[in-house]
Amino acid sequence: MTVVLSLLTQVLHIALMLAAAPTLAGAVSWLEARLSGRAGPPILAPWHDLVRLSRKTPISEDNVSAAASLAPAFALGATLSAAALVPSFTLGMALAPLADVLVIVSLLAAARAAAALAALDSGAARPGLAAQIASARAVLAEPAMMLAVVALGLIDGSFNLDLIVGQQREGLLLPAAASAVALTAMLALLFAEASGDGAALDQMQAGTGLALSRITVWLRRLVWIDLLGSLFLPVGMATADSAPLALLTGLAAWAVKLAAIAGGLSVVLTRLGKVPGHSLPDLLGVAALLALLATIMVLAGSGTA
Amino acid sequence: MSDPILLFVTIDAAALVLLGLCAAIVPLSAGTFLATLASGLGMLLCLPPLLLRAPASTLDLPVGPPGLALHLAFDPLAAFVLVIVFFAGTAVTAFQSAASPPCTPAELRETALCLAGTALTLLAADGVSLAIGLAVMTAAISPQGHRPQHGLLTPILLLAAICLLTPAGFAPRFDTIRTAPAEPTRSAIAAALGVAGVVILAGPRPAARSRFRDTLAAGMLIPAGLYVLLRVIADLAAGATQTGTGIVLLLAGGAIAVAEAWRAADHPDIDGSTACLTRRQAGLAVAGIGLALIARAADLPGAESFALAATLLAALGSGIAGVATTLATRAIGVSAGTIRLSRLGGLVHAMPMTAAALAGGLLGLAALPPGVGFAVLWLLFEALLSAPRTGGLLFQLPLALTGAAFALSAALATAAAVRLIGVALLGRPRTPQGAGAREARSPSRGILLALASLSGVAGVLPGLFLWLLAEPAIHGLTGAAPGARIGLALLLPSALAPSYLAFPVLALLALTTGAAIVVPRWVRKGSKPAGPWLDGLHPPVGLPFGEPAAQSAGHGFLPILPRLPLPRVPTLPALPRLRPPSATGAMWLLIAASSALLLLLACLA
Repeated sequence: MTVVLSLLTQVLHIALMLAAAPTLAGAVSWLEARLSGRAGPPILAPWHDLVRLSRKTPISEDNVSAAASLAPAFALGATLSAAALVPSFTLGMALAPLADVLVIVSLLAAARAAAALAALDSGAARPGLAAQIASARAVLAEPAMMLAVVALGLIDGSFNLDLIVGQQREGLLLPAAASAVALTAMLALLFAEASGDGAALDQMQAGTGLALSRITVWLRRLVWIDLLGSLFLPVGMATADSAPLALLTGLAAWAVKLAAIAGGLSVVLTRLGKVPGHSLPDLLGVAALLALLATIMVLAGSGTA
Repeated sequence: MSDPILLFVTIDAAALVLLGLCAAIVPLSAGTFLATLASGLGMLLCLPPLLLRAPASTLDLPVGPPGLALHLAFDPLAAFVLVIVFFAGTAVTAFQSAASPPCTPAELRETALCLAGTALTLLAADGVSLAIGLAVMTAAISPQGHRPQHGLLTPILLLAAICLLTPAGFAPRFDTIRTAPAEPTRSAIAAALGVAGVVILAGPRPAARSRFRDTLAAGMLIPAGLYVLLRVIADLAAGATQTGTGIVLLLAGGAIAVAEAWRAADHPDIDGSTACLTRRQAGLAVAGIGLALIARAADLPGAESFALAATLLAALGSGIAGVATTLATRAIGVSAGTIRLSRLGGLVHAMPMTAAALAGGLLGLAALPPGVGFAVLWLLFEALLSAPRTGGLLFQLPLALTGAAFALSAALATAAAVRLIGVALLGRPRTPQGAGAREARSPSRGILLALASLSGVAGVLPGLFLWLLAEPAIHGLTGAAPGARIGLALLLPSALAPSYLAFPVLALLALTTGAAIVVPRWVRKGSKPAGPWLDGLHPPVGLPFGEPAAQSAGHGFLPILPRLPLPRVPTLPALPRLRPPSATGAMWLLIAASSALLLLLACLA
């Protein structure tokens, strides 16, 4: 029975992540516009975009390889795999044994690499430039992300995300100061992710390829938010064998967490403005240093708690 | 069982020496065939004792200096590295036999002698045999017409290290050393000498080199260098507490991994870039040895076995993925007429199989799941997780810095792989010669694809490879049952703990990617062909496919480092250039120096 429940919750989790990604992107855009005093686009505008793009006849360029058509699908597949491993409303899903934080971070890196390869395959100048910039930023962002989650794994003694979240839920993750520094690093990374021009890599795509690229970007942002929520706000999360009421509570708590983090992100983006492209490496560098500091604090002992 | 096998492997190595010496007079096709046969036979000979967990065996050869007869041994560690080396030798010699243009007798001589020297190094059970094997290796890889300048330092340094570990009055045999462990100071000096020797052997990439130097470095020099480090530091000097040596190796390995990955993402040539990625694997392996020493000093066999598994898997990755990428870059260089990244492009259309092999090899060298490079990274982080937490900030700082180095190196390696694939293989050709590149010949293609496929299998089933090939060596080095239970398709820290399951991760990735491919096609079928100009612009005259030079040329894939406000160093006056003294002058200088030394000693006395 537990196996069936864990499978069901896993399928529900993936479906919810896929449904929430465009909705959350639309909500953030709407909220940003409202906070700026504009009417803003409808919250469901990303869904309309996806439907519109999927109705277009695909264009097969004769100068590109199969990589151009397969890379957006691979990028979405890798991001969706990462999304499937990050718990949302419940722990103990069917794929929980695979939910290694290093695997999750590396799947996101693989998705980014695939998007860059698709841009380079177009053979045009501007997507190539976008791929270079994305790669240079990833050189700073990926180690920062990896170190932040490794710091949390070192506290817990395991790199499995389910175990880390479980420990965090029980309030066992010490030293708390190191957790706070890791949280700051991850918030800086989320801010950089939201400020970056994620759509620059898909300049040469159209139709379904563009739709896949868009949903990949939205899903990646949702994975970040979900990771933050589950690691640092594991409130109300159920387990796979919980009663239906506990699962419903978990769903409600997840929705509230998403809304809170997305609202906070919108407020920050509106009040502070997006980080300019030339300053993003500085922000990413600071995030990497914070993540390193968190790792040092964890390894140096619990005296900083 | 392994006694006759040791004899046959020794005969095999001797036959390779003979073949290397006679390379100039043997017909080239026969020579490459014989070299392939000898390498393949060597690999097949080493596999059964490894798979059947046969005990170590020894062989005394009645040759050598008086009282220092050569002594050979065949133990699981040597057998594991021998399998890698002979496998790489088989691939290289088979590729040479099918290469177009054909390889030269000098290249055949280099490969055969390097393989024989490496085999002798791995079989050596005393300092003299080890030094002879290393001398043969270094002499073989020196380019024709160039004297081995620093290379011969390697055997001398290693011999000195072994002699330092040997008890007074005994021959420098490994079994003697194991019975009487050396004191910590001598062990530390021996470790430093060993590291220096290995760095000279496998570190620098000489400007004057043969076409297969990078391949030999990936398949033979790096695995052999790691073996020598493990043998000298982790095996022969095992009696001493080596925390300091471990920290030094840890930091050095992390620094090498970052520096080489950075160079790989910035190198103007594809062969240089792939060589740097291979040396990055060596850096990770060295860091793994350091972690193993630290864990051993703290009596943590689980962490030690993780670190050793990472080291051996890195050697395996270098031997498979490194050889695949270096051979593929060579095939590309021959066909496209250049190895300069900014002059390549669009090779996926002209050489699809070679491009696929290069991409597969790069996946193994980068740190992306489910490649073998990612399995190495995961094992290293697991070893870091299990490392001792004592010693305060001063002791833990190197561990934290090394963790940061692992993460940074992984991101840089991914950037380097994206740059190589995106600029050289994808996009459009930049030069007419690049556009006219043709696929490598059928046997060469098959070899490249087989290597890339095997690299992929090693990435998906790292536990299987470690269980089959490396577990006896890890058991022999840790002296206890492995703390890490290694299953068929997964790497487990323990029976109950969650782990890295490469095969299920691949299945999940395939499922989600398949869905992302199928669903859009199901929603909308059929596509409209179009040219490259989608934005209404007209192509320039004479360039119907646009301006290929406007594509990314491989620059700017790395962040710009901030300029530190360092004080300006005052310019020093130019020193007079000293000419080397003549023979007579050198003799007088030697006499004067000796007299000064004697005077100094007399004064001190």
